[in-house]
Amino acid sequence: MDQLKVTIALILAVLLQWTLRNVAEPFAYIDFPLIIVVYAALQRDAVKAILFGAFSGLAIDALSGGLLGANGFSKTLIAYVVSELARRVYLDNLLLRIPVIAGACLLDDLLYFGLHRLLGQEPSGELVLTVSYSLIGTTVVGTLVYLILDYFLTERTSGGSRGRETLSARRQSRRRNPIRLGK
Amino acid sequence: MVERSQQEVWRLTPWLAIILCVANFVLMAFDARADSGQRIIRVWTQTAADFVQSPVTTVTSSVSGYFGSIANLRGAQSENEALKQRVQELEVELKAKEDLTTENQRLNELLNLPEKTKYKVLNARIIGRDPSVWFDSSIVNRGSLDGVKLNMPVVTNGGLLGRVTAVGPLTSQVDLVTRDKSGVGAVVGEIAGSNALGVVMGSSKRELIEMRYVPGTADVQVGQIVYTTGQDGIYPAGLKVGEIVEVELGSATTPHRIMIRPSAGLGSMQEVGILLYEPPVKEEFEKQIAKPAKAK
Repeated sequence: MDQLKVTIALILAVLLQWTLRNVAEPFAYIDFPLIIVVYAALQRDAVKAILFGAFSGLAIDALSGGLLGANGFSKTLIAYVVSELARRVYLDNLLLRIPVIAGACLLDDLLYFGLHRLLGQEPSGELVLTVSYSLIGTTVVGTLVYLILDYFLTERTSGGSRGRETLSARRQSRRRNPIRLGK
Repeated sequence: MVERSQQEVWRLTPWLAIILCVANFVLMAFDARADSGQRIIRVWTQTAADFVQSPVTTVTSSVSGYFGSIANLRGAQSENEALKQRVQELEVELKAKEDLTTENQRLNELLNLPEKTKYKVLNARIIGRDPSVWFDSSIVNRGSLDGVKLNMPVVTNGGLLGRVTAVGPLTSQVDLVTRDKSGVGAVVGEIAGSNALGVVMGSSKRELIEMRYVPGTADVQVGQIVYTTGQDGIYPAGLKVGEIVEVELGSATTPHRIMIRPSAGLGSMQEVGILLYEPPVKEEFEKQIAKPAKAK
């Protein structure tokens, strides 16, 4: 059921990204699909996060003037990096997630810009200014979205079998941590 | 059992990421080719998005239109009087233009000049803006079913806006003139009275466009208007591109560097016109001149 809710959240995020810039220009600086992709990666479901990244990226690219596949590439890579990070480091606290979404946004923007430059396409706008606005917008909205998602997705888990599964998965990942084992 | 399957998933993950990244990169490289036409993924995603974008745009524009009309009521009376006066002035100008048109037709017939290409204007509404902050393309609610074709010019009442770069059955994608890859053949001032020919394309400043390759000996000044020449094979001649706001003068060996503010209000447009214009077909010998290697 939680899987379905996160999938619905991703579809909503793509729809918002498609439509909100036409309502007001500043909404363009918020990367809604990236917020959900990072959230899915933080749930330690790497396969789902990577697929989310690839498909949401392509959905955005299809309506953009940029290269088809650029967002798909950057979001797939970010989903993998964040899911690997979440497997090794404890990131269930909301405060710890803020630098993760900020870092993911920065990496996503730099990758997107770099890929276009690499393939001879010059994106419009100044790099530093656009990345700064995007970083602020996505981090602030991402934090609020994570609060909302946590509220809806963890409501039923307290003390139930779902809670035990989550804790079990966390114990396993901590046990396998090569840094902790000194390997 | 659960532990093993989890390990398998973790082992699979890097491979899945690599495969998807490579697939996306191949797609990018394919899309970046200079001779690339429109992509089927793009066309069908745009068609699907139309069912979401159109209702959202209708609702938001009607809400903002309602509040906008209330705000405009205050100045409506003075604006009405000014418009009445303007109508009278325009009636006089129209009469003079009609006389000129009649004279022009008569002289054309007298000289047996070939008839110029004519085109219709198809009104369209912008239903979506580029979801990526790095680009400025727009989606309009007219597609191939309305007669729109690839590379057709798009204008607003201010001037040239861009061209159609992808066409679906119901919608089309428009790339603005501010795009780095847009190349508009243009001239400073009237075509007949100027030798300041060049190419207009996007610049690093989002709100300005740059005119390149204008000879350093040509007379160019701030405030002059730039028009299309029709020599690029996409846009018809005589469309207003914008006004010169900055000139870095060149010399006999270096071209001028000219910055232009586009005439079309690129940030706030809602209604646009698609020119159902197809450039005249090149003569066979012109094609051979353009491709000497193939002619051999």
